[in-house]
Amino acid sequence: MTAETIRNATKIFKYFYPTCTNEDILFKLEVPVEIPYDGSTRELVQRVINMFHIPVYLEEELNEKLAHFVSEETKDFHNKRDEKLLNQLKNSELNVEGIVKNWEKLFKENVVEFAEQKGTSDEEVFAAAYHKLVHSPALDTILQVENSYAKTVMNMLKSRDEDIQKLTKSQTEEMEEKMRLLNTGTTEEEINALAAKHFEEQSLATGRWDSQLDALKHTQRATHRSWLMTTLEQYQGETELSTPSNSPLATFPMEPTLLAAPKPRLEESFTIHLGSQLKQTHNIRLVAADMLDLCAVNHDDNGAAARLQPALALYSGELAGAVVLADSSPPRSPLVRLAASSTEHHFDDINTQLRRIVDALRHPVERRNLERAQQERGSGSNSSRSRRALRTGDVYITTHSNLDVHVVFHLVVDDSLKSGDITSRHPAILGLRNILKAACCNDVTSIYIPLLLRDEITEEMTAAWCVRRGELVLKCVKGFVLEAAGGGGAELRTLHAVLPAAAPAVFTAVQYELRTLHAVLPAAAPAVFTAVQVSVCALCTVLLCAQYTVRAVHAARRAARRRARGVHCRAVADTYSLPRSWSSASPEEERSPLRPSDARYKYYRAENCIIVDELKL
Amino acid sequence: MRDDNDDKYVFAACTYFAKNHPGETCGSNGLPLTPSSISILGRAQRLLNIEHPNLCTYLDVIRGKHERIIVVTEVFGKSLEEWNTKFSFDEITNIGLQIAKGMVFLHKQNIIHRTLADDNVLVDSCGRVKLFNYGMYYMTGGGSDVPFPLGLPRYLSPETILNGGGPAADVWTFGIILLELCIGKLWHNLKSGPILRRILTLVHAANPAERIAREHDCFEAYKLVPDYLRKVIEKCLKIYPSERATFEDLVEELSQNNVKQLVDVKKPRGLLGCKLQYLYYWWQLTGGDIQAELKKNGLIKNSPPILSMPIAILLDGCTVGGKSGALFDRRIAKYSLNLLKARLSHIPPQDFYPLMHERRKDYDAVALPKIIRERDTEYQFYRLLWFQRLLHGYPYTAQYIRAEAEVDIPPLVRGDVWAALLGVKGDIEEQYERIDKETPTPTDRQIDVDIPRCHQYCWLLCGPSGHRTLKRLLKAWLLTNPQYVYWQGLDSLTAPFLYLNFCNEARAFACLSAFVPKFLHKFFLKDNSAVIKEYLAKFWQMAAFHEPELATHLHDINFVPELFAIPWFLTMFSHVFPLHKIVHLWDALLVEGPSLPLFMGVGILRQLRDTLLDSGFNECILLFSDLPEIDIGECVKESIEMCRSSPRSISFRRFTNESAIKDPMDVVEIPLEVLLTEISPRISLSDFFSLTCQDRCCVVDIRSNLQYDKSCIEGSVNVPYSGVHLGQHDLKSLGVQPHKVITDAVKQKKTIVIASAEDETAQLFSDYLVKCSVPRVCILHGGISALHSHVPSLFISPLKKIGSK
Repeated sequence: MTAETIRNATKIFKYFYPTCTNEDILFKLEVPVEIPYDGSTRELVQRVINMFHIPVYLEEELNEKLAHFVSEETKDFHNKRDEKLLNQLKNSELNVEGIVKNWEKLFKENVVEFAEQKGTSDEEVFAAAYHKLVHSPALDTILQVENSYAKTVMNMLKSRDEDIQKLTKSQTEEMEEKMRLLNTGTTEEEINALAAKHFEEQSLATGRWDSQLDALKHTQRATHRSWLMTTLEQYQGETELSTPSNSPLATFPMEPTLLAAPKPRLEESFTIHLGSQLKQTHNIRLVAADMLDLCAVNHDDNGAAARLQPALALYSGELAGAVVLADSSPPRSPLVRLAASSTEHHFDDINTQLRRIVDALRHPVERRNLERAQQERGSGSNSSRSRRALRTGDVYITTHSNLDVHVVFHLVVDDSLKSGDITSRHPAILGLRNILKAACCNDVTSIYIPLLLRDEITEEMTAAWCVRRGELVLKCVKGFVLEAAGGGGAELRTLHAVLPAAAPAVFTAVQYELRTLHAVLPAAAPAVFTAVQVSVCALCTVLLCAQYTVRAVHAARRAARRRARGVHCRAVADTYSLPRSWSSASPEEERSPLRPSDARYKYYRAENCIIVDELKL
Repeated sequence: MRDDNDDKYVFAACTYFAKNHPGETCGSNGLPLTPSSISILGRAQRLLNIEHPNLCTYLDVIRGKHERIIVVTEVFGKSLEEWNTKFSFDEITNIGLQIAKGMVFLHKQNIIHRTLADDNVLVDSCGRVKLFNYGMYYMTGGGSDVPFPLGLPRYLSPETILNGGGPAADVWTFGIILLELCIGKLWHNLKSGPILRRILTLVHAANPAERIAREHDCFEAYKLVPDYLRKVIEKCLKIYPSERATFEDLVEELSQNNVKQLVDVKKPRGLLGCKLQYLYYWWQLTGGDIQAELKKNGLIKNSPPILSMPIAILLDGCTVGGKSGALFDRRIAKYSLNLLKARLSHIPPQDFYPLMHERRKDYDAVALPKIIRERDTEYQFYRLLWFQRLLHGYPYTAQYIRAEAEVDIPPLVRGDVWAALLGVKGDIEEQYERIDKETPTPTDRQIDVDIPRCHQYCWLLCGPSGHRTLKRLLKAWLLTNPQYVYWQGLDSLTAPFLYLNFCNEARAFACLSAFVPKFLHKFFLKDNSAVIKEYLAKFWQMAAFHEPELATHLHDINFVPELFAIPWFLTMFSHVFPLHKIVHLWDALLVEGPSLPLFMGVGILRQLRDTLLDSGFNECILLFSDLPEIDIGECVKESIEMCRSSPRSISFRRFTNESAIKDPMDVVEIPLEVLLTEISPRISLSDFFSLTCQDRCCVVDIRSNLQYDKSCIEGSVNVPYSGVHLGQHDLKSLGVQPHKVITDAVKQKKTIVIASAEDETAQLFSDYLVKCSVPRVCILHGGISALHSHVPSLFISPLKKIGSK
């Protein structure tokens, strides 16, 4: 803004009063008062009286005089400042055009009445449609369809791999043959030519497959999206939401595969209370697995079932995220292969996203690096790193609908993390802080974090090293979570601390540390836990009895799925999340099973966990 | 002309987003910056207390997710914008007068309106006027906490456009509104830029009002405006703020020409006659949902968060992509009371006016846990009205208030009730005013360090206004209590009072000043070790009295109260529990009196009993370093029960504010060194006497059987001390008769009083009984001899008794 900043002024309050004995001799009092004065003038009077031992009979008068003085001076202060501004305007000393433009911009960009009318974006329309459909009986079909799409892509990928393998094999044979004949029947030139030909064939094949794949994904995406929109129309056409014969429950019973134990994986869940007086409860799940495996949708069992959770939560306020370690070049993200293995129906495909990130980051990063280089030059060290490269601690973010997590935070790291001693001021840790803050601000409620900030176990990573690193990261994460919670976003309910899969010893060591040092409680008090185990189906039944069919099925499935994924949520936590998922499940809030007037609801609000009893688990 | 819609809506809500802090969010003190919404929330609290006939009352300010602020206000009638009829000049004068009256009040409070506009001046069919949402500029710190500009372009004064503007800018806006009322809407159909440009060119005009009228081809219409009104408008629309009239002048001028008298509207009876704040509160309890209506009106839009993910965050916190700020929507959502009316429809009219001396009805809800009662509409309805009645009569109704508070305290008036329970009365504002809270003192540094760590999860206390007020309170308290020093924990102790009296600093201070001498006498002395030691020793005795097994275990592992209980008592638990639990705990504390905290400590131990019994020293330390969740309702209930069932004298402490006990029957005082060695508390002769009369005690006489046979307390059992094997923790080893008597007494929850000739044996024996897990063991103070000299009537000669049979 062009106008000068408002400066406060100090004015002297003068006051005279006669001495007791002689009317002509005056005591003179001068008090500096800051204008505008934001305290109470009466309090100031008391301080003055005490400080200067002024007779109390003057109190009333002083009160009055000082209040008057302050109000007059404040008025004067405002008026003088404004007069100066207006005079400047009159004398054309101000950039009127600039000021007006500025206001215009402010109004246009921030206030509805002055903003350009823009409708809901296609993205939002589609999002609303999809969210509605996955919370309707159509869910089952959608998941099946998506799964079959994914299978098709998988098959094509498989045949591509086979084809290329075949090609490579035949080429190798041919080459070997040629090589054998070298010096006898063939020349080096011929071999070179053959190599070139092979290379060309290879790239031709890859290109052909890639374009086929692209075409397939494109078609799938287009078909799927239009099919979804049509389905929605049909669904809305129906006046009454009947539970037809193809109800999710009928066609999609609690398959045994759902409840079957997943691949054995080292893991344990804890509950942790953060905060000194008001305790926030978070779940920490320690798991030894490869981060990319955790991100992938589990295709081993019924693929459609594995898609359930991500699909239900995709457009909700309970997103799942993962922190993936990456190097400074977004296109080399380790996630590319995984994310490209099935069609992305909702967002740009991963390569496009990464390209967009590179484009968008070019200028900010360059500017930042330049600034930093200047600072560093000042301090003597010179950095030879590229002007445009991301640095350790920077984060880029991609969104996905075909993975088990919706948001992937790529944390840029370098070799400095291989060394043993990093502090809580290490850029990677600060990057983690930014990630957790962003997660809170953007409704990510469950997040996978590589606890050691390393993907694999190397030789120098002894158990002691791992424990030290794990503890540092965990300590920082706890602090960040607490800090982020004050920001007023979503609360991070579940933290998955991921350890490299290769080292069971490390898992045990870290597990021990967690139990002893962090005063965490094992998540499942045994008695309660068994109750949940046996009651997944019972829960479903009870909920069904409650006549909230559709949502009950979802909720029960979620519970079941949690079991299937092995998230040992506490019974309390589980039941706690059930009503929430109901109410966020569908826009029809009125149908929320627990009404505020309902006694049970009150009890639930009061105690959060009484529902367990209510459901007679 | 009164239409039905008038009463339909009672309150309204508007919502907006506060500004996000860009980039790295750390303040100069290394702590994260306060979110803007928190600052807004803190400032807005003051608005909630403003009441004036021409201002809509603020009812609530809610902080939602993602920096959303929702402001709930009284609403009535229709805004000027919605009134399509043209007003007569008399009506305009009257409306102007009422607006000016409201504005005088605001300016006196140092609140600048800045956003005065035709859509926030509400007029009902009787012609009454109220200003709506006049606190935007104030609560947003002059607009600095929100991303959008405040006000509407056509109402901005020239100096405001130039980024100046004080209270006089409101006068300009007022002038524009009057002018609009006279000649119709100004700068209709113009975009913001051109409007602002036109306003700025007015500075060259000699008479801006006339110039505006000419611009709109309304000069003729303007000429028709009565002279006095035109004069008023012109006085407002002076270019230089110093030349403009003030609202005081305007009120005077307008009232001279005001011919229209407002019809006196009879104050509605029944539900609508209740305080608006109560109505809002009950409405919420009935299930009224502010956010739902906002959503319905499209004022809260929930775009799926995944669509607005940022695409990158650089290390310095610079975020690329992501959410674009939501637009500020000036519209409001209105709410009717239908829900509440339906809920309370069966309540007979006389119940709205409870009488002081009428017998109170019993409500079924009383049996439910407190936390549920607090959410029961009908129960809160009756309680609030009744408490309102009682509070009106304070201080004369102090004893009624105490009796009712024993049942429960409605959360809405908790601040008032606490003040009443603590006996706060008189001109507390003036007393508070006289204390110097500004001059720096050496303790400031420590206070500054502690405050940002004190109950910061509470949105009121973690904002700048909360910090400032807390500091002022602490400084004021330290200054008025020169015998005390600042102990860490004093901040936590002050927090609940500040929380309940956020806009009434003086009362928060008065409550604190009354609370400390009552509950924490001498705790804040520079050398408070003796006081704390005595308190902890007493606490330990109470634990042994009510939870012998647990106490024995903790004794065995040497887990002494010094390790964990000091912050409990020094802060009366306000350091260990969140505010919503503290208030319930203190509700009981204020009613029951200063001995309750001892039993609350025992209550907490009792809740952790199973864990503690299984734990060794290290586990206990770990457990208490981060106290697990405690069911505070249960804890309070049990501690009250323990407190009431314990003889008063066993919890006697020397360091209290009560006058010294003179009557030898009541004395239980012993030197501190002795107290520290004793496991079981002592009971006074008079308490013992009353227990005996009610047959609620079992006396164990441990003198030799020779002495016992000579003369003993009637009904006592003799267990000669010399025959007891102290190492053998089994009651059976005492013999058949004593074993039976003691186990029976335990079953009947009788107090077991040990009477002896000398104190040492009594202590050792009581220790023995505690180790045998016998609850409610205490020692007769002064022993047999004292009792014999004061109450000889209790003694009989057992031999004679047997003989007579």
